[in-house]
Amino acid sequence: MITMIGGEMPEYAEEHPPAAGPLYRHLADRLPAGIRVLVAGPHDTGLVRALADRREVTCLLRSRPDAETLSSDAADPTESGLTVLCGTLSKLTDADRYDVVIAFDGVGRLCSPEDTPLDWAESVRLLQRSLRPGGTLLLTVENELGIHRLVDPGTPSASRSADAWNAAAEFGTAPGRADRVAEVLGAEGLPVSGMAALWPLPANPTLLINPETLRYGPLDALAALAANVTATAYSQGSVLSDPRRLAASSVRRGIGAELAPAWLVIAQRATRPTQGIQLPPALFVGGSGVGGSETGGSAAGGSGAAAVTEILGTPDGWLRRTGNGTAEPLPDGHLLEERLLSAALGHDLPELRRLLTGWMTELPLTTAGNVLVDGARFTVLDPGEPERSDALARFAHLLIDGGYHHPWPGITDVVRLIAVLAGAAGLANPTDIPEMSGKEVAPGQRSKEVAAGQPGQETASGPRGQDAVAGHQGQEALPGQREQLLQVAALRRQLADAEERSRFFEVELEKREAELGRAKTQIAAFSGNLGYRAAKAGLVLARAARNRIRKGR
Amino acid sequence: MHHGNHFYGHAHVLAEYCGLDPADPPRVEGYLQHGWNVVDGLGAGTPYAPGLPIFVWSERTRRRAWSMNRPLATVTGAPFLYLLRSLAEPEPETPREGTIWYPFHGWEGQKVSGDHHRLIDEITATEDGPITFCLYWNEFEDSRIRALYEKSGRVICHGYRGYMRMRTDARFLHNQLAELRKHRRVASNRLSTAILYGTAAGCEPAVYGDPMYLDREDTSTPDRIRREWPELHGSAPEPERARATVLAELGDGHLASPAELRAILGWPA
Repeated sequence: MITMIGGEMPEYAEEHPPAAGPLYRHLADRLPAGIRVLVAGPHDTGLVRALADRREVTCLLRSRPDAETLSSDAADPTESGLTVLCGTLSKLTDADRYDVVIAFDGVGRLCSPEDTPLDWAESVRLLQRSLRPGGTLLLTVENELGIHRLVDPGTPSASRSADAWNAAAEFGTAPGRADRVAEVLGAEGLPVSGMAALWPLPANPTLLINPETLRYGPLDALAALAANVTATAYSQGSVLSDPRRLAASSVRRGIGAELAPAWLVIAQRATRPTQGIQLPPALFVGGSGVGGSETGGSAAGGSGAAAVTEILGTPDGWLRRTGNGTAEPLPDGHLLEERLLSAALGHDLPELRRLLTGWMTELPLTTAGNVLVDGARFTVLDPGEPERSDALARFAHLLIDGGYHHPWPGITDVVRLIAVLAGAAGLANPTDIPEMSGKEVAPGQRSKEVAAGQPGQETASGPRGQDAVAGHQGQEALPGQREQLLQVAALRRQLADAEERSRFFEVELEKREAELGRAKTQIAAFSGNLGYRAAKAGLVLARAARNRIRKGR
Repeated sequence: MHHGNHFYGHAHVLAEYCGLDPADPPRVEGYLQHGWNVVDGLGAGTPYAPGLPIFVWSERTRRRAWSMNRPLATVTGAPFLYLLRSLAEPEPETPREGTIWYPFHGWEGQKVSGDHHRLIDEITATEDGPITFCLYWNEFEDSRIRALYEKSGRVICHGYRGYMRMRTDARFLHNQLAELRKHRRVASNRLSTAILYGTAAGCEPAVYGDPMYLDREDTSTPDRIRREWPELHGSAPEPERARATVLAELGDGHLASPAELRAILGWPA
């Protein structure tokens, strides 16, 4: 059922995807049954359905087409607990009060053009009014200076999308730090009881870490997770520079919360915070749950929710607990990819060879971005991620595409670099390694045959050379524009070198040709050619005659 | 590539290490450092094809090469270390004794000038065991100089390093290693490649005596070498410290596996 509250957008359907994903779903699932929930702004249908399962849910959407779609999707009689309000935020009356207001999409898509534009604080104030006293607000706040913005080649202040009638972007009024968000909400009568930083994108986060954990938690492992989830999110599209490095190093170096793409806030309409939803130290969506989460989330029973792994601090150390309840120690250590890059940048050949050898011996089918290394121990970071037969080739691409310094600067061809890396990894016959098949390895083929130089059937036909390079595209995070500029500069340098080299060789060739000419003359002289001998004899006689004449003078 | 890659049979030694035919090493895609130096790994005036790597011995040389606008320097370690690795030291028939002494030498382009008499006197006064003088080929072929040294010890030559790929003695380093392994000490009047090789081969190093000079030689470089590596100078430097420095200069710990080296040099697998 749709209620038109006024100010709706009759033709416009949201252009950008709604807030979605297993992480938001996981949080929604923690809400108690039987409560009244307002879902403000565009949210994934699967998420709304899951909420409406045992709760009375009202959705607020500004787009009429979206409201109709949601309403017809939810026409199932068993989901009668769903009401759709269509209109702009300021038309929301406080006649209805809710136990929980969910705004995982933030407050940016609540107002329509019919409304006076509202800034962040005004929007939050309106949401607050629809909470009953003691009610809980779950709000995502986009960090307008977050990593996703820093690497975005477009700028929101120049957005041409149809809902950018007021594109304030970084000139907006939303707080720029997690603690300021809490301060502002507190001042609005919404004391904050829970706060967490989100990666890799506000609309579909797959990693949540609370600020305390970012301060005192296992930073290397968390940095590895941040890089890992970022890599997955940026497997397509264009970026200014590789966001994985920024994500990992900001977490490791203590400014993870400041540069996180968004913050999730749990606040209560109360004089002081009360016990509501508790956020664990960290949550992440592993393997199968990453990407394609819309479909995962909409499946009844939610396989997406099961993919969420919780990270818990215990007196015995950090544990990770998967959706099925099994807990195991959180593997410690540093992301292999970063260790490899740092050894390559430092020209630390012994360390680079040690890491490559350990990796190719222990986990040859796991990409470097999914391996933690702690001394001599190599552990898979996310066991849900599919195995790859071209893990080493991917690292070679990263070195070249990323413009990283490495100990073999003369090698610019990726296939040769793969051979060098394979040699450095102790693989006896590098040509045997499946260089670029780019295929996921079939389950059951987890053997170490790659390391043993006996590629499996599917990998033996792996293409080489140019095909291989093309095959690589689109599977790894794309090189950023900065990296592309570096590549252009590198190619210019290589071209200049090649031109200069060809001139160098021409000079060398001329020298050799002159030498050859002299040698040919000598050969002719000794080869018994009659004409030559006659001419030579004539020359000798002529010289002798000349000398005699000179002497006689 | 450059004929310097064949000097002293370096390319041949590396080919053998890589499991290829040592008699016919493939073309190296770059330039091998053929002797120890304190510049970018290549000798001054080497005609250098742009855009090709220099395969230098040590990380220190690579850094220096970078600072000298040679960004493609690649550390592979000295070919002599590859030889040392593949030729295990045989059980000596007789224990190591005496000193192998390498008087500083000139080359095709520059002759060395100095007082050989005075140098020999100083050597015989310092060394207490038998002395083997190893002369460079051009001085070995100079009967006058050779006769001077023959009065005070055994005189040898490791062979001709080769020039323009002609007359290359591919066994040069093998000969040198075999000789070094017979001696307890290795000495010279200049810190040079031979001292590094000798030390790596297990000799105690010494650098003393009239350093002599090449025609038109800029003396600031030899002065700098003496200042920079004091632990290798003197008639009896502390052997362990000297050895650590020498191994670092030769790139010990940086040697590539045969497969890696083949890929680096652009050789077939």
